[in-house]
Amino acid sequence: MKFQIQPRSIAFRLIVAVLAIELLSSVLVVVLSYGYERHIHFHAFDVMLHGRADSILGAVQDANDPGDNVMLDQADLHVPPEDIYQVWDENGRLLGRSGNWKDAPDWKTDGGAPPSHPWGDYSVVSTNGHHYRMLRIQGSRTIDPGEKGGGKVRKVTVVYGSQTGHVWHIIHSAVEFYAGGSLALLLITGPLIAWLLHRGLLPLRQLAALASQVSVDSWQFAPPASARTTPELAPLTHAIESVLQRLERSFIQQKTFVSDAAHELKTAVAVQKSSLQLLNMKRRTPQEYQAGLEDSLRLESLVADMLTLARAETASSHPEKPPTADLNDCIYHVITQLETIAALRNVNIAFSDPIPDKAILNLAMPADDCRLLVSNLLLNALQHSPPGSTVEIRVTREPGLNPPLADLAIQDHGDGIPAEALPHVFDRFYRGDPSRTRNTGGTGLGLAICKAIVQQAQGGIQIASQPDPAQPAQGTTVTVRLPLAP
Amino acid sequence: MRVLIVEDEPRLAENLATALRDGPGFAVDWAEDGLAGDEFAANPCYDLIILDLMLPRLDGLGLLKRLRARRDATPVLILTAKDGADSIIQLLNAGADDYLAKPFDLGELIARAKALIRRGKGAAHPTLNTLGMEVNTLEQTVRRNGTFVDLSPTEYRILEYLIHRPRVIVSKRELLEHLYDYNWEHHSNVIEVHVSNLRKKLDAALPEADPIIETMRGRGYRLAPSFPANAEPDTEAPDDPPTESPR
Repeated sequence: MKFQIQPRSIAFRLIVAVLAIELLSSVLVVVLSYGYERHIHFHAFDVMLHGRADSILGAVQDANDPGDNVMLDQADLHVPPEDIYQVWDENGRLLGRSGNWKDAPDWKTDGGAPPSHPWGDYSVVSTNGHHYRMLRIQGSRTIDPGEKGGGKVRKVTVVYGSQTGHVWHIIHSAVEFYAGGSLALLLITGPLIAWLLHRGLLPLRQLAALASQVSVDSWQFAPPASARTTPELAPLTHAIESVLQRLERSFIQQKTFVSDAAHELKTAVAVQKSSLQLLNMKRRTPQEYQAGLEDSLRLESLVADMLTLARAETASSHPEKPPTADLNDCIYHVITQLETIAALRNVNIAFSDPIPDKAILNLAMPADDCRLLVSNLLLNALQHSPPGSTVEIRVTREPGLNPPLADLAIQDHGDGIPAEALPHVFDRFYRGDPSRTRNTGGTGLGLAICKAIVQQAQGGIQIASQPDPAQPAQGTTVTVRLPLAP
Repeated sequence: MRVLIVEDEPRLAENLATALRDGPGFAVDWAEDGLAGDEFAANPCYDLIILDLMLPRLDGLGLLKRLRARRDATPVLILTAKDGADSIIQLLNAGADDYLAKPFDLGELIARAKALIRRGKGAAHPTLNTLGMEVNTLEQTVRRNGTFVDLSPTEYRILEYLIHRPRVIVSKRELLEHLYDYNWEHHSNVIEVHVSNLRKKLDAALPEADPIIETMRGRGYRLAPSFPANAEPDTEAPDDPPTESPR
């Protein structure tokens, strides 16, 4: 069985993380405080235990018997009644013990080795349901110090024990206090953090609310100042803004294209409709019928160009081997096609093919596209060439680059394009001088189609013009850079 | 009547001009961009301007605003390929009189053109009843005193122009400018013949009346009033029988 983990909100994850850290640190505080309290209280306990054992030692006196023995004088002993103790001399003779010493083990023989601790040896014993902390110390008594020879020294061992219950009780209450405090803190900080996060994330929610108001009809997006100045939100705000700007630009472009296309189509239909209605108005000559018929060609070429543009702009997938087209072949083909038009306009076409090796000019694009590209460019050049001038076609190769490139330049010697019109010539339906281009019969899509084809082939297209009245022969040069097939 | 077409699409302008010449027999001039249209329209000889919206150099709206800014009251019919009420409202508010969306019907265009010219001259009905004449501008027929008067196209056009300006002296030049397109000067010597023929034909329908078209020597022509009630001091003929237009 598999559990799908639901993605939680950032706020939830942050709260859980903070609470977990808090819980961990409170556990740590409890553990540390337990150790600390235990150390402090048992230290004090041991000092007390030592003092009491010392007072037991003080109660060991000369027994005044012939054997120079010692005895435990319990009459003056003031120790808590619940404490237990036992005293032996060096021979293991029990000198005395507390009254409640019952089932405690016999400590006389226990651990024959002398205690290493300066305060003696601690150990824990439980008896009668009570826990005792036991201390064993050794001391000595000098018997008859006034006698000759300095008297006799008797060694005495004292074992003293006291109940540890109340110490543990203190320690436990302290630890309980710390634990309780931590828990209370945890309970308070949880909602507090949630509230703070809610407040802290307000700019994010405002941003989201504003962004959600953006639609196709209203591209207005004015992010609040808080979103701009917050370091975390600034990149997001910036990204949204730039995405919206790009979207809006392309949307406007599409809209403009649709409205331009509608305008062109309506005009073409208007021409045709009026022509046909005119034919109906009175008896017409065959020439007039012919002119009416030719109006349909305009509509036809406009629709054909729009379809070509749509096809060139859509990325086509080539499942088989990538298409190739020989640039020189294309140029020769197009020149053959346009020779009549060139002859009609009295314009020469000059194409010098400087590269004898034809194989190296294989372009990575379909041959139809290549022909359409060259044909559009050459037709444009022919249409803008004055009679008697020459259109030059040049092909150069850039083998050093990877992938290798081919440059195609087509130059006319016409009037050129005004500088202010130059950036727009690749726009769809753009006409530098509408009355002129309409007379030449263009649809305003030729260069847009060229650009789409070149972009589809990962190439580049440039246009340079010299509309200088002093040098009218400069004309316009279109340069296309296309990658060669590998 | 003379019409100015401002349209950058040559074939459309050609078709419009042919339709207006062949149909109602208007004189037509063509300007292919906004600035040229502005220059043409500076001459007050046009009875109607047909204006395309999308024009090079100066767009239709700009031209319209220029016209109205210099108090040119010539009726303007807009041809538009734009959709949407906004642009139509904007156009009408800028002083356009009517609009047609492309692609339009030539018959509708001609009808609207005639209506606009008529309205521009203060007549509401296509049949003009005045001075005892009944001029049907749709059929281009004229009756005087109930008698059908057979006129040539040019004679009819002269009468149609004059009938919109009764009792006003219309100079020969004005008449020429409104009847012919830009090369009106070539027709200046034949206009007198046409006016003379027109007068003869109209007077033949009502022989006892005074000549209906006066020639004011050196000043032009005047369609004279035949009604004694409307008689001006310089017009005589008190014995002119009142001709009732409704029969």
